[in-house]
Amino acid sequence: MPAMSSVLAKRSTRVILTAVVAIALIVAPLILPAFANQTLVRIGVYAVAVLGLNIVMGYTGQVNLGQIFFVGLGAYVTAYGVNHDWNIILVFVAACVVPGIVGLLVALAAARLGGLAIAMVTIALPIVGVPLAKRLDEFTGGSQGTSARFTDAPDWSGLYNDQWQFYIVLLVTVGAFLLGRSLVRGKYGRAFGVVKENEAVAASMGISPYRTKVLAFTVASIFGGASGFLYLAAVQYTSPETLSFGHSISLVAAMVIGGAGSIIGALIGGAYYVFVPQLTNAIDPNLTAISQGAILLVVLFLLPQGLVSLPRVIRRLSRRRPARSTPSGNPPQNSPVHQPAPAAAPEGLEKTERQDRS
Amino acid sequence: MGTFIQLVVDGLSTGSIYAALALAIVLVNQATGLINFAQGGMAVLSAYIAYAFTRLGLPLVLAILAAVVISFVIGAVIERFLVRRFEGGDPDTAVVVTIGLLSLVTGIAAIFWGYNNLAFPSLFPLTSVEILGAVVSVRSLATTVTIVAIMVVLQVLFLRTKLGLALRAVADNPASAAFSGLAVGRLLMVGWGLAAVLGAIAGVLVAPQLTLTPGMLDTALVYALAAVILGGLSSPIGCVVAASAIGVLENLVAVYVPLIGHDLKIAVPFVLIFVILVIRPQGLFGRKVVVRV
Repeated sequence: MPAMSSVLAKRSTRVILTAVVAIALIVAPLILPAFANQTLVRIGVYAVAVLGLNIVMGYTGQVNLGQIFFVGLGAYVTAYGVNHDWNIILVFVAACVVPGIVGLLVALAAARLGGLAIAMVTIALPIVGVPLAKRLDEFTGGSQGTSARFTDAPDWSGLYNDQWQFYIVLLVTVGAFLLGRSLVRGKYGRAFGVVKENEAVAASMGISPYRTKVLAFTVASIFGGASGFLYLAAVQYTSPETLSFGHSISLVAAMVIGGAGSIIGALIGGAYYVFVPQLTNAIDPNLTAISQGAILLVVLFLLPQGLVSLPRVIRRLSRRRPARSTPSGNPPQNSPVHQPAPAAAPEGLEKTERQDRS
Repeated sequence: MGTFIQLVVDGLSTGSIYAALALAIVLVNQATGLINFAQGGMAVLSAYIAYAFTRLGLPLVLAILAAVVISFVIGAVIERFLVRRFEGGDPDTAVVVTIGLLSLVTGIAAIFWGYNNLAFPSLFPLTSVEILGAVVSVRSLATTVTIVAIMVVLQVLFLRTKLGLALRAVADNPASAAFSGLAVGRLLMVGWGLAAVLGAIAGVLVAPQLTLTPGMLDTALVYALAAVILGGLSSPIGCVVAASAIGVLENLVAVYVPLIGHDLKIAVPFVLIFVILVIRPQGLFGRKVVVRV
């Protein structure tokens, strides 16, 4: 019984929390200024890319330094489709499928290789991608890049462009995160984890490490392509510069700083990717490189698990201190979720432990 | 035929630069099991330090020696106070740490010396000699010879000296190395220091040719990484051979295969990697690592 009540409490708080967040996200673009909307839109764009990267790196343990290539590919496919007047749903599907197929082909060869070799193969993608995009100017517009407008708000909606873009990005981002969440929590997510920990054990359990790695890489490429579609929805322009190696590295940094192997971490990573350059540029454009490097190192030094572990670390620190000073010890006040459990089960393990200590 | 030989010679000379960086990467990897993406950035910083000493009026050779010594200290300090925290942890995190380090080091160089190209004096005369109909500059010849000499010294260090044996032992199994009485921490610092010295030498050798900028070695680093993977992470000779091969091949392909040309020649080493690793996953000269469960 007590267990059930705590679950209920947990679920109801979750439902309420989700509803509050959902309403806030739907209302937000209507009241926020355009610049804030555009920033949120870009966070959504990169959060999807980081989510894909998280699935292949954080969950499956394959170092992938080429995620931006798939983002760029998705953006170019979107631009091509829009400029040839394809149906927008078809454009979106193509922007996911084409990078997915390319990712599959790369993975079929790369997943045979272990550890750092896969990092080297993926490093090649953006490095070869940039000159390739310049060369194939028939499709990509060469060095000048290509632009496509398809996200102007229609008249019947009465919205501004930035608000309309917000809703498009919100729709796709939420969809991507729900899909990603059920993927990593289900059968395949468990397979990813086992393959990451030990391939031999995975094989002995009947999980093919090769197929699992190919799957993770392909899924990551599809998410990259979706992110590219969103990028074009938000920025309406893409050039070879979009898929430069530096951006790919920043995506990896964002993933690790947000929290590898965590869905929320991908969202935080997207925010990091957008905010930190803004912040460091505001301080001093000449200091951008040094301050980005410093922020990255400080975060990793203090929180090797990424920013997503911050609440856990704070909770651990705050729990440890009161327990020592006051033996009767109040439970930490910042977690309503856990409060019912000790109240309903007074004979819990925690209490006897405290008695022993006093 | 003259063009062909010229292309090969030029390729060998750029290849030797990739080789120097690749050797530094192999050294760090042998000692710590990490790939240091900041290796190029650290080498550029060393070149800037040498540049600063020459501006103070020090003769070039002394300036370079001073930069080499300082680089050793910087490398050891970075290992002790930054990298050590991430050794043995999640390799993804360690990779990102070195990427952060690259950004930091580049930023430091940019703050002190700016983003403009600076002229770096050359250690070797700027004359050229003719060999088999190809014009070879004395500078690139001397650079190649220096790199080959360093490679031999490294090979001897790793295989013939007690320090080399200890470094290899630490890389192979830090725990049992510690049980045998090796000062693991100090050896790791030495490994990073030596790698920084190698980087410094690469930096001052390349700087006159490329002129000093904070991002001077970014492209070279990519080629060096390719050479490391191709040659095998455990083989200094392998990565020098691979680096030379990459240098020569990209030069030849850029000229003789118009479809690829100069803009796409950077794809060459990676296509090569792709093909070779699928056939031989441990690299051309690497040993196969057998994992027991």
